Amino acid sequence: MKPSKDLSERALGWLLLAPVGILLALIVIYPVGQLIYSSFFTIRLTEPWLGTPFVGLENYAKAWEDERFWGALQNTILYIAITVPGSLAVGLGLAMLANLPFKRKWPVRLALLLPWALPLVFAGLIFRWFFDFKLGFVNDFITRFGFDPVPWLTNPTMAKIAICITIIWKSSSFMALVLLAGLQSIPKSLYEAAEVDGASKWVQFKEITLPMLVPAIFVALIFRTITAIQTFDIPYAMTGGGPGDSTETLAMYIHKNTLDFLDFGYGSALATIMFVVSIVATSGYLRYTQRSAGRD
Amino acid sequence: MNLAEMKTKSMVMLAGLIVVVNGFFPAVWIFFTSLKTESELLQFPITYIPRDPTLVNYYQAFTEKPLHLFILNSVIVAGASTIITVFVAALAAYALTRLKMPKRNLLMSLLLAVSMFPLISLIVPLFQVMREIGLLNNYLSLILPYTVLSLPVCTLVMASFFQDISPDLEAAAMVDGCTRVQALFKIVMPLAAPGVFTAAILAFVNAWDEFLLALTFLSRESMRTLSVGITLYQGEFAFPWPLISAALIVAIVPVCILIAIFQERVVGGLTAGGVKG
Repeated sequence: MKPSKDLSERALGWLLLAPVGILLALIVIYPVGQLIYSSFFTIRLTEPWLGTPFVGLENYAKAWEDERFWGALQNTILYIAITVPGSLAVGLGLAMLANLPFKRKWPVRLALLLPWALPLVFAGLIFRWFFDFKLGFVNDFITRFGFDPVPWLTNPTMAKIAICITIIWKSSSFMALVLLAGLQSIPKSLYEAAEVDGASKWVQFKEITLPMLVPAIFVALIFRTITAIQTFDIPYAMTGGGPGDSTETLAMYIHKNTLDFLDFGYGSALATIMFVVSIVATSGYLRYTQRSAGRD
Repeated sequence: MNLAEMKTKSMVMLAGLIVVVNGFFPAVWIFFTSLKTESELLQFPITYIPRDPTLVNYYQAFTEKPLHLFILNSVIVAGASTIITVFVAALAAYALTRLKMPKRNLLMSLLLAVSMFPLISLIVPLFQVMREIGLLNNYLSLILPYTVLSLPVCTLVMASFFQDISPDLEAAAMVDGCTRVQALFKIVMPLAAPGVFTAAILAFVNAWDEFLLALTFLSRESMRTLSVGITLYQGEFAFPWPLISAALIVAIVPVCILIAIFQERVVGGLTAGGVKG
């Protein structure tokens, strides 16, 4: 009787997994296939008389020559390079502060949850206004200390800084939540033992906290990197990519090519490039989880 | 209490204050602004706390744009996708934790990988598909993708809860004549209710917050969801901030209440599933 029971259990398992499989096939796998396929064709809805001829790698060659694409790629890499370590540092700081023994835990916890729950585009809108030249709170604040007001959103360099600050504010609280869970899983006895040995707080942080936090830091970093690759909402709400195209990200440029210029062939090629970049980042993550799963 | 104790205590208070101000400051700021009049907003230097608070912006937020429709659309889309997500994810989580499935870890990892797909890459082909089958400006064009977006996280969260339920209970139910599927819905699901609930909140917040797909697939004004609808208050050059602030407050208060009530569950779910943020 045993083998047949196992078999029916397996059949039921596949049956229960079927809805997930169907949804994934419909919303992810088929579209990705279509995306890669479309990238080899000219599909311009604004010029229907062109038809949809096969053009091979022409769309990719166009990207290679496209300065705006390189600019958008450069901005995306810049945002990743600044906001991933930035939000890790701020998140770690927030997590350390939130891990102190408070009498009431909920205000601190809610303060970490609020930025996470706030839609990205709302964070962008609110900070756009904080950074407003005349009516913004940031310039009001710095002029009170005698500094000149800064043209945050109309100067390309300042606009990038403002966008990075906003992204770091928005993403660091999620980082903090993940790291806080990591902090709380460190056994107290380790610190007590270090205390007995006379280790300073800094040595305790360096020798106990950081090494024990490595898995949580790694998970948080990977998730942050993958979302940073896709940066769209915050620059879209804050500058719309401007001044000029100076703050535009790859995701924004893809969106513009497809939904505004209606050039689906070229947009698909750009989206495929981005897809490949994400796959590389994701496979790094998967290799890590597989390895740690093997360790269990 | 001696001096050293007082010092530690005030340091802890200060640390808490930093975290609280960092988290609450923007929300408090827009709340104050939503109570300001247009003329007070344009005053220079700017005021922090409104001088004569008014609720007129809240009234105008509803008359200027169909804010009530934005809310309704968001509730429909987020609600429907949450229900479907939780149902589908529960079945998958059950299969992955309670049944002897081959390559379980690989399936879990694959599911996680899907959650990291760049949305923007999916938007281009999905837009073409939705256009062809006539689903643009139809709630389904958001409900289905949102379901898929939250599936991995919800499956992981529920799987971690299902794992903690003793298999003996199910076995006992099946001895009493329940089928496996009945055991899932009558025994496992009720026992894993906190997990189901956590998954539901995560799925709801994900859907409520999403912007890119909503911007692209529901382009008719009466079909806009809140995250997109709020951005429609701005003119090309004019920013009616008190009005936008009032609309923002209306949009974020329901989610804030939800997470304030269930904060422990949300934190547990977020850190168990390792959600993207």
